[in-house]
Amino acid sequence: MWVFYGKTPALRNISLRVRQGELLGLFGHNGAGKSTLIRAILGLVPVRQGQILVNGVPCTGSYLPQLRQQIGYVPQMLNIDPRTPVRAWDVVMMGQYARIGLLRFPSRTHHQAAADALQKMGVLHLAHKPFGHLSGGEQQRVLLARALASAPHLLLMDEPTSSVDWQFVRDLTSLIRQVHQASNLTTIVVSHDAPFLAQLCDRVVLMEGGSILGDLQARDLLTYIGRELT
Amino acid sequence: MTWVDIWKEEFMLRAMLATALSGVACSLVGVLVVTMRLSFIGVCISHAAFAGALVGLHFGISPLSSALVGSLLAVGVLGPLADRGNLSPDTAIGVVFSASIALAFLLLALLPGPKSEALSWLWGNVLTVTSDNLRVLGYVAGGIVMLTALFFKEIQAVIFHRELASASGLPATAIFYGVLVCSGAAITASLSAIGGLLVFSMVINPAATAYQLTYNLRNLFVLSAVFAVMAGWIGLALSVLFNLPSGAMIVLISTAGLLIAITLSPKRTGGKS
Ligand SMILES: Nc1ncnc2c1ncn2[C@@H]1O[C@H](COP(=O)(O)OP(=O)(O)O)[C@@H](O)[C@H]1O
Ligand SMILES: [Mg+2]
Repeated sequence: MWVFYGKTPALRNISLRVRQGELLGLFGHNGAGKSTLIRAILGLVPVRQGQILVNGVPCTGSYLPQLRQQIGYVPQMLNIDPRTPVRAWDVVMMGQYARIGLLRFPSRTHHQAAADALQKMGVLHLAHKPFGHLSGGEQQRVLLARALASAPHLLLMDEPTSSVDWQFVRDLTSLIRQVHQASNLTTIVVSHDAPFLAQLCDRVVLMEGGSILGDLQARDLLTYIGRELT
Repeated sequence: MTWVDIWKEEFMLRAMLATALSGVACSLVGVLVVTMRLSFIGVCISHAAFAGALVGLHFGISPLSSALVGSLLAVGVLGPLADRGNLSPDTAIGVVFSASIALAFLLLALLPGPKSEALSWLWGNVLTVTSDNLRVLGYVAGGIVMLTALFFKEIQAVIFHRELASASGLPATAIFYGVLVCSGAAITASLSAIGGLLVFSMVINPAATAYQLTYNLRNLFVLSAVFAVMAGWIGLALSVLFNLPSGAMIVLISTAGLLIAITLSPKRTGGKS
């Protein structure tokens, strides 16, 4: 599978199989193409010479809206203007809007799902703050709550540890673990933070220059990085 | 006729109705344009609409229809550029903006005879709004109110983050173009009342005023519409009382409102929600 930005290939000949219920790390330096791979799974960039299947359904065309509703996506740092008229609560509700459907209002079940997700992430008390006023870690928790509120079959997280401090990284590790174990949720976590991935994942796939170099057991990642540096 | 009697005149009631309808239509798209950071596209749309109106006058077509075509052309050119988001649309906006103005001035110069009708599209006049125009304003304002209410949650998601909205399965691109087309319609319908040079402040000022005061999107729409109608009526009253141009008075009043809101804004001092 290939992805191009203009004429430049951002992903070259990628082939990857993720098992149901797996907690997979995707490791690579900046510009390796990790975010592009996530965007390709979401159908946000066109894929050439190949295809991506989620539970056997291709991530293109008329399948997309349906498929996207089943994917929880926690994006890379958003840089939301602090004055944006959107509260943390609204952000979590938005995760469910596509599923609720056009011209329909959220029901009590949807409100309950949002409250539960915020509660689980420990940020229910921030629900009525403007999203742009929250710290990096708080935003990250709200975005994770947003992804979970829609009860996804697949969770994609892009650089969840950028712009948060080490304490939050520790909390985040256990939060993701909890979520993954509670529902055997297939999870792909993208990061250039090797210790974080080594802690969190079962298997880690290495990316560089738009290609996949191979995969290894998470516990071997730090040894691999050590060898790469020397 | 004293200035109390004047409010009983039919032309005055029509002017008040036109001001209110155009205030509601423009201020609602204003909220969308301001929160989605599309202000400059809006400026281009209004000037393209003005150029379109002059094209209509020149070739004897209905200026209202040709203004709508002009604004939609601007949407067609600038929408995809802003949509792709990977190249800065500044240059394209500059080109479309100056080309519209140049075309408008060229047509203005070429028009035979007295230029008062053409100039009225530039300055606008709420006191001479035709019944046809009033009806169009009614449809456009009603349509925009309805669409905003019906697609409120999708609009909110797109305002927050377009790509994220798209990634969650919402029709973000359709909403985006819908906003641009509504802007074109609101601006076109308000053109003869407010004028091509000023109509854009009808879009921006009330929304920017409300934006200073609330973090709640629903309140933002309501406040913006209230400010627009208030500024419109106060400006209209002053223009009639002192025999001043109505469009200019309306815009100055709404600018004053914006300045007051900025000094009082809780957001400026980083205050609470
Ligand atoms: N919208 C874009 N347009 C053009 N090139 C892009 C775009 N987004 C990313 N790229 C390029 O594609 C490559 C991979 O980027 P990305 O997937 O963001 O890497 P990573 O997430 O691993 O840091 C980089 O060389 C980057 O410059
Ligand atoms: Mg990235």
